[in-house]
Amino acid sequence: MTALVWIAGVVAMTALGLPMLRIPAVNDLPVPARLAVLFALGQLNGSILMTAMSMAGLPWSRATVVVAIVAALIGTPWRSWSASANAVAWRDALPLAAVILLTTYGAATARLTCGDLLFFWGPKAQHFYHSTRIDIAFLSFPHYSLMHPDYPPLLETVYVWGSIVARRLSLWGAVLLTPVHLLATALAFAGFATRSLGPRRAWTFAALLAAILAYGFTTSRAAGGADPLLLLFEVIALGTAIFSESRGRWLLCGLALAGAALTKVEGAAFAIALLIAITVTRRSVRETLLAAAPPAIALAAWIAFAKHHGILDSYGRGTKPLIWTQLQTVIAATLRQISYRAFYLPFIAATLPLALGSQWRRTIIPLVTALLSVGYIFYFYLHEPEPAWWIKTSAERVFLTTLTALVFASAAAADLDPAATHSLESRP
Amino acid sequence: MRMTKSRSESLVILGSIAALCAFTIARYVERHAPYFSAPETIVDHVDKRTHDNRDLLVLLPKIEPLIPRNVEVTCFRPLAGQQQFDGPNYLAAVGLLPHRSVLPPFTAAADLPVDQLVEYVIAIREPFAHPAYRVVASYPEGTLYRVNR
Repeated sequence: MTALVWIAGVVAMTALGLPMLRIPAVNDLPVPARLAVLFALGQLNGSILMTAMSMAGLPWSRATVVVAIVAALIGTPWRSWSASANAVAWRDALPLAAVILLTTYGAATARLTCGDLLFFWGPKAQHFYHSTRIDIAFLSFPHYSLMHPDYPPLLETVYVWGSIVARRLSLWGAVLLTPVHLLATALAFAGFATRSLGPRRAWTFAALLAAILAYGFTTSRAAGGADPLLLLFEVIALGTAIFSESRGRWLLCGLALAGAALTKVEGAAFAIALLIAITVTRRSVRETLLAAAPPAIALAAWIAFAKHHGILDSYGRGTKPLIWTQLQTVIAATLRQISYRAFYLPFIAATLPLALGSQWRRTIIPLVTALLSVGYIFYFYLHEPEPAWWIKTSAERVFLTTLTALVFASAAAADLDPAATHSLESRP
Repeated sequence: MRMTKSRSESLVILGSIAALCAFTIARYVERHAPYFSAPETIVDHVDKRTHDNRDLLVLLPKIEPLIPRNVEVTCFRPLAGQQQFDGPNYLAAVGLLPHRSVLPPFTAAADLPVDQLVEYVIAIREPFAHPAYRVVASYPEGTLYRVNR
């Protein structure tokens, strides 16, 4: 019961995203995708609020939750809410429903649990909840340095939010939040792709993405960790950059990138990869700056906070030299691991529809992002003197970003829906 | 032509989804029975073998009431009766005992003076053979010790 209340508390963070309906790129989405995006943005807004309160020395409480939700509801432009024009037939939603049910079963029977939930996400959230702030004394305790003291705080603050509502941290709640994040990820994908593919094909591609991620979550044991939330933000950023034509799309892309950068260290690397892809294809300084500003400001504020309190750790490693002698080990171990013990099926499934596509120009952003994601993953691994164990425990998770970008490439390459606007054909 | 291509696209994607679901189920089955009963802990079926943290997750609700608030405690699976650095159990205990100060396992080392030893030791599964500690409570999953001072 505590787990359900805890999850309901996290889902209620969607209310904190409602003021973002002012961004046309959000409001133009079909209703399921709009709710998924508001859910993600609500978690981002809630985390920023809680982090800012910590920086200002203000403790969190139930009043924080109530006041934040009431303020968000007051600030919501309700009149701009429009009904969805692209309803999906129930039978087209069946594959996605089956994948979500399968993932829920796996999470509920403790088959997907992420070890890091017990090793650092959970302990941090627990201590932050009880100290009612981002607990610097806890983070800077030298014997807890294995918990990555400077890791960005988005996931922990989301977990604290759920704990404030449920009056305790629920580890089961954190595990069972994974199918919720997976559903939101698939709905967001379907919403962005609907405009060019039509609802039926968009939902089919969304089910493919969900099936790949669900299998990846299973092999890598991701439930309760940060990857499901990271992928939600990444899908919103990619979906906006590739499919959206609405006003405010670069702001939405930037907010999603800020969410990614505040969720995991790899999220910042993903933001840089996508921004490079946008820059080389769109060649618009204004668009790049609009998308780059939110993650740059958010991450700079967090790093400055971490540096001020002397807890910089992961962000300081980038300056260390690469260990090129490990290259062969890194390549061999990574190739072995990302077969996913399924003969590379996730990669085959993600790229097979590409062969049937024709809109090649539109694949540049996702393919460049996928390629750069491989580059930054290798960059991280090449900083480790003995990378084999690290690759074994993380490659299946971090390559889910690459796989997601490849599914986007397949969907972007697919023939346009006859009802789609002609302008899409000429877009890169 | 368009219809044929669209149909091929659907078949390819739905076939891929079916294959991925089949592999997912295979991984679930690999992580052993029972398949339709509520697990006791969040790590019951994450691997073929028993997870490092399962004993701690089962043990803690039983012994937590016996550990006063704000005391120092450590947690590890003893090796040959002595403390060892046991990252999984030590780090998990930090999160599971938020009202205690959880210290690393070396604070229960055999060569430390008694007045520097951590007050409580949670020894997972194996016995802890330090002469300065006495048993407070014992269960199949582990034992709670307290230092004699």
